Amino acid sequence: MPHKIQIRLASQRVNTSVSLNQRYPKIFTPGETITAQNEFMRGHGTYEDKGELKASVAGVREQVNNLISVRPLKSRYNGEIGDVIVGRITEVQQKRWKVDTNSRLDSALLLSSVNLPGGELRRRSVEDQHMMRQFLQEGDLISAEVQNVFSDGALSLHTRSLRYGKLGQGVLVKVFPSLVKRSKTHFHNLPIGASVILGNNGFIWICTSIINSEESVGGFIQNLEEVVPRQERETIGRIRNCIAALTQSKMMLYDTSILYAYEESLKYSVPELLIPEAMVDVAILTQHRLSMLEVA
Amino acid sequence: MALCEAEKTFVLHGVEENFRVDGREREDYRPMELETDIVSHAFGSARLRLANTDILVAVKIEVDVPFPESPHQGKIEFFVDCSANATPDFEGRGGEDLAVTISSTLSSAYSSSLAFDLRKLCILHGRKCWKLYVDILILECGGNLFDAVSLAVKAALWNTQVPFVKNINIDGNNVEINVADDLYACERLDVKKAPVMVTVCKIGDKCIVDPNAAEEQCSVGSVVVAVSGNKFSTVYQTGKGSLHPSTLIESLKLGFEVAKRLDEALWETLSQIQPDQDVGFLK
Amino acid sequence: MPVDHKRINGPDETYPYSLYAKTNKQSLNEKHEDIKRTGQRSDSRTFLEHRKIFIKTGVVSQAKGSAYIELENTKVIVSVFDPREIPNRPDYSLKGEIYCEFKYAPFSCNKRRLHIQDTEEKQYSAIMKQALESTVCSHEFPNFQVDIYAMVLHNDGSCLSAAITAAGLALAHAGVPMYDIITSVSLGIQQDNLFIDPTNEEQSICLYPRTLDTDHGNVIISKLHMHNQISQFYQSGNISLEKINEAIGILDKTCEELVPVIQKYLVKHVIRNLKDREAK
Repeated sequence: MPHKIQIRLASQRVNTSVSLNQRYPKIFTPGETITAQNEFMRGHGTYEDKGELKASVAGVREQVNNLISVRPLKSRYNGEIGDVIVGRITEVQQKRWKVDTNSRLDSALLLSSVNLPGGELRRRSVEDQHMMRQFLQEGDLISAEVQNVFSDGALSLHTRSLRYGKLGQGVLVKVFPSLVKRSKTHFHNLPIGASVILGNNGFIWICTSIINSEESVGGFIQNLEEVVPRQERETIGRIRNCIAALTQSKMMLYDTSILYAYEESLKYSVPELLIPEAMVDVAILTQHRLSMLEVA
Repeated sequence: MALCEAEKTFVLHGVEENFRVDGREREDYRPMELETDIVSHAFGSARLRLANTDILVAVKIEVDVPFPESPHQGKIEFFVDCSANATPDFEGRGGEDLAVTISSTLSSAYSSSLAFDLRKLCILHGRKCWKLYVDILILECGGNLFDAVSLAVKAALWNTQVPFVKNINIDGNNVEINVADDLYACERLDVKKAPVMVTVCKIGDKCIVDPNAAEEQCSVGSVVVAVSGNKFSTVYQTGKGSLHPSTLIESLKLGFEVAKRLDEALWETLSQIQPDQDVGFLK
Repeated sequence: MPVDHKRINGPDETYPYSLYAKTNKQSLNEKHEDIKRTGQRSDSRTFLEHRKIFIKTGVVSQAKGSAYIELENTKVIVSVFDPREIPNRPDYSLKGEIYCEFKYAPFSCNKRRLHIQDTEEKQYSAIMKQALESTVCSHEFPNFQVDIYAMVLHNDGSCLSAAITAAGLALAHAGVPMYDIITSVSLGIQQDNLFIDPTNEEQSICLYPRTLDTDHGNVIISKLHMHNQISQFYQSGNISLEKINEAIGILDKTCEELVPVIQKYLVKHVIRNLKDREAK
């Protein structure tokens, strides 16, 4: 039985904000003076003009010692060494793959920074160069780590760990990079029977539980035969919609918030979670539980 | 955006399982949002948002001379603008093919007098008629354009107010039309049977409606079905693939059923519209 | 509107005088009544009978491939040109593309056509492209584009289907790799009457509904014969599901009937070529 088609009026649009009477931080707009004192250092999102430090993006001010930067809500991803990212191969070049990582410039994955089948520390031969498209081709999704940041801001990636490599069957969700909370691990095997990779670049990968990560060797193999069973598919769909709900209300994404949102969403069926009211409801309930956690 | 094989497989199996990536069944639509009467310079307007697809339709009315081959009919013209605001791919003449396809499918769907009666737009036989310019602006493009455009057009036409002609003075070759002074003396158009379009998308062996961007990539072919009342007013096959005759008939059936549900949902929403509701782009 | 000053253009708006002529004009309704009563069409065909076809390839000597098709008074010429790199495309595409242009000659219809494509012609070009796309092995010429131009010399209905059938033949003549032979047939519907391969007059009969709630309209189908696949389907008017089903069945059968004509011609063409070579 198909669900009812929903055509809503704009006047009935729901407010997606979930903030609880918090004090809003001051938001700087481009060109606005942050400080006239010149003992501060110029960080991201700022520029100096006649001795004054001004914002070049709209966002909130952040200060580390005397380094001032302005962080916008929406921005392309600014990579840092050690970040876990999810990216899509856009081009196969000689000795390197170009990867779309939601940053300003395409990132590079060098042939020398992947684990090739047959021993980790093998020399890269000319054959390997010819075989590159068989390892990873255009459109493939990978998880990787930022190895280096070039001077122009482009990222160099590596997949030299068993955790990283080509991704199999699952769903990609794109969110603002600033909504992904930095934590020790970005690979989460959630107890509800699904696994989530929260890429620092705002690309989130949801797939079935990885049962034994040791099995995946460098990972250039995709199992296209496997049919994901209905129940796991529902879990993946639910997590996807929960992440969409949290994102809509601009809530931070990390394992606890996703898990709470999942639990709070159980009273709705998965397709019902596409309805704005349900999305806000889930976000509010999750926010509430998270704030309880903080108090305790 | 290109999908990798594994993602495509996941979508494909989901469609077969009748549980799509976002949990929808094969015949489910994503929630839509509609507002009408938002362009004050137009005689009727509507904006429809379906996930990331955003369509703005405005109807302008002008006085024109009927075609000699159909002197008793008014005119309607559809113009689709795929603005580069939507996606940089539309820049320059990039969106032209798509725009022509959508506008010609629309005019074909509205061409039958059973779907939309142009005779009511005639003012004076063979001399004067109303011409409706339906301008469709694609503000954002997130797939499933045909469905969204047809709903928005129907809502805009529903909202359209045709000026009421008080009297006509004929003086030799000059025809003078006097429109009622009262601004509110207008006639509504009859859009009860205006066509609603549904894109039926074939993925694997099954057909779905309202595909998202990923599903559109997995599709091997699709059929756009325009339904007016209980008849088909236009069927147009798109996509690179071809269909087996039985699949074609099946997708026509599916499209027909879904279009009826879609039409009902639209009427229900239109009937809820109150005048002077506080709406607009930013709200 | 861009105007070509090298050509002689009439005034902006002109109409054929015949539209205003009162003499010798039977209304379309009356004509339909006649047809219904006698059960015979004006050219004495039965309702499900296709017109006689004449086809010929190699009519445009400078094109890679060309075909000419005649359905009694409907005359269409199609030429196919050598693949060339896809213009205005920065990125490399793994598949080739086809480009179709459907055009009525200025003198082909009752009303004079302009030299630039109007919306109807653009729409027909898109339908033609849709029909031919799935029969061409586009992976055989990556990043290249094959141009197909169809010109209607005389319009007496069913031009688009004639153009698609001819384009399939022209592609074969040009040696473009193809999966299958493509045939296309039109059908007009007015009330309970189905007109296979309608003439211009019959198409106009089907354009407007006779009464409220009747079926009327035109349907075009293109079929890949061996694969039993429909590569293009287009319908306009106002038709019920049952009628469409019936129409698809009939069109499907008629498409099949056209296949031997095309096949026979292609075989003959090959044999002739071989003989020519032997003679040399």
